[in-house]
Amino acid sequence: MSENNNQDFDEKQTDGGVATEAYLEKEINLFKPATPFMRDHLRIIWISFAAWVLVVFGPTTATWVAEEFMTETSILGGYPLHFFAGAIFTPLGALVLAAVYAWQRDRLDKKYNISHDPEAAEQAEASTATDGGESQ
Amino acid sequence: MIEVVLLDTALEVDQFRLVPTILVAAMLTLFLGIGYFFRVAAVDELWVAGRSIGPVENGMAIGANWMSAASYLGVAALVATVGYFGLAYVVGWTTGYFLLLIFMAAQFRRFGKYTAPDFVGDRFYSSRARAIAAFTTLAIAFVYAIGQASGMGLMGRYIFGVSYEVGVILLMAVTIGYVVLSGMLGTTKNMAVQYIILIIAFTVGLYATGWSQGWTTVFPYLEAGPETAAAADIETQLVEPFAFTSYYGWIALAFSLIVGTCGLPHVLVRFYTVENERTARWSTVWGLFFICILYWGTAIYAVFGGILYDESSLVATGGEGEGFMHMSGEDADALVVLTTELAGLPEWLVGLVAAGAVAAALATTAGLFITASSAAAHDIYTNLYKPNATQREQMIVGRSTILAVGILVTLIGLNPPALIGELVAMAFAIAGCIFFPVFFLGLWWENTTREGAITGMLVGMFISFGAIINDTIYPMYIEGVDPANIEAADALIPTLAETVPGVSSALVGVPIVFAVIIGVSFVTEDPPEDVKRLVRQCHSPEPMDQMDSAEDVATDGGIEESSDD
Repeated sequence: MSENNNQDFDEKQTDGGVATEAYLEKEINLFKPATPFMRDHLRIIWISFAAWVLVVFGPTTATWVAEEFMTETSILGGYPLHFFAGAIFTPLGALVLAAVYAWQRDRLDKKYNISHDPEAAEQAEASTATDGGESQ
Repeated sequence: MIEVVLLDTALEVDQFRLVPTILVAAMLTLFLGIGYFFRVAAVDELWVAGRSIGPVENGMAIGANWMSAASYLGVAALVATVGYFGLAYVVGWTTGYFLLLIFMAAQFRRFGKYTAPDFVGDRFYSSRARAIAAFTTLAIAFVYAIGQASGMGLMGRYIFGVSYEVGVILLMAVTIGYVVLSGMLGTTKNMAVQYIILIIAFTVGLYATGWSQGWTTVFPYLEAGPETAAAADIETQLVEPFAFTSYYGWIALAFSLIVGTCGLPHVLVRFYTVENERTARWSTVWGLFFICILYWGTAIYAVFGGILYDESSLVATGGEGEGFMHMSGEDADALVVLTTELAGLPEWLVGLVAAGAVAAALATTAGLFITASSAAAHDIYTNLYKPNATQREQMIVGRSTILAVGILVTLIGLNPPALIGELVAMAFAIAGCIFFPVFFLGLWWENTTREGAITGMLVGMFISFGAIINDTIYPMYIEGVDPANIEAADALIPTLAETVPGVSSALVGVPIVFAVIIGVSFVTEDPPEDVKRLVRQCHSPEPMDQMDSAEDVATDGGIEESSDD
């Protein structure tokens, strides 16, 4: 994509679109969502963040609090519990949470009728160049 | 030079190996071929690959970009030598992507500029902020790349039978030549290939070791329990949770690596290359998956390698095993390759594992050099020094930067001040202290002001660089302590080396920097309305066009044209 196109967009896309315009007038605040979408989104963010904190720092904290239990319990034929948690479980937990978040976020897109279809985006881009961005 | 205490049975380094050499040569030819085929001439393509990359491909690029010599060689080395503490590296270098995903990935894609300093400069409407960010980007790329050079030297020794120093120089020269020739588009295509090569090499080595010893079959990650117990019998400290650090030290390191993940410019730039925000999100998930495949294997390698290392010393001494946690730094950093060799696997397979390590180091170094060159050419030269610089001039400045940084990294890499994993962790601590707070607050709190961001970054710089000077640079270069034997007591201020170590200064640094930014932002004038609109637009769920950036959508016109347009 050449730079000139980029510059064209600067001028043509200022109308933005209804949804984005709604955002442009409201303060973005992590604790005070401004729109219903933002409220729903932040709920997902905070719940998954809390789960993540547990998965990441939970096992080591448990090892600190109950060292004997964590180190002397062995699973899968010999892994000490705390070792297995750090080496295998915590990365897996973060991966699962990431997939769940991305999936929830897709559901949110659906609920609010947002499409990321790349073909539609391409068409929009193609038409933007000729109709001055009306298709946004 | 780090003291070389090679056991008779440790990695055989002083012979030229034909098959591994051919593997590495073939790999490099392939990379250069791909780089040539997808070579670029335009600035847009050099830095953000025309914003055209899909989720799985970008996920692989995230993986290859991420998995440097530190992941491939360094993490297993750390788990083998510092046991459970080493797992803080595993946790820190995987789980951070989740924070990046929920708080920053899509927002950064919407912001849609070229580089991290671009974000800082535009968001904080200040060329001074941009300059600080550009300097930080260069510093991070530099520290990070030293670890890679070190890994290249170790692998060069094994593969070509040359000295460590020649290995560093040879492979760094190849990397520099490759990046200068290909640029980002070639690099992104290459990264997917590099990921596939390195993950196959790493995993084949792990499986083959497990099979040859009769330890594991189809899923070593869940089957290596008995071996873990056996390794713990040899060295009880392997599983003793706080033998090498306190609970605080463990958490500090994991935290530091996590926020570092969210503050690394060369990670961030991967989100600029995707086609839309949804792709940014799913490519993070894919990226984390591809990263986990390798990280799950690191602790298992450490266990396998530890047992085999002990066995080999048993044979060598004819009686008592020597354990494995006190192996030399070089043996530790080569442990992944050493494991496959000690397992008696054929030379071509050991060579494949070594070639994978070279691919890992090369891919990451390429990404770092691209980031460094864009910071110099785009953020410093064009935006601060010569606003009307032509594309040609930018390319020249960018390429000279790659050359200059490359030579400097090679020189320091000849005598690295720490283990590979530790060096890279320092780069993370820098990114965590300086960039994470301004990125996070910049995206989520529109009233963060220019003055707040600049003060915050300077404080972060003081903390992170200060910590590294305190416990690494001062002992090594001023006191002349051998880097392998540096202890907290050698530090300039020993107490600080315990509470704010250079590898994990962000646990202390990040809250302080957050407080500074928020405090200063409250007492200084609010940001201009157009900047606030920029922040707001980053959170809108409405899809943007492929080539759009937040600025394009948020402005009513009238805010300054960025000079890349």
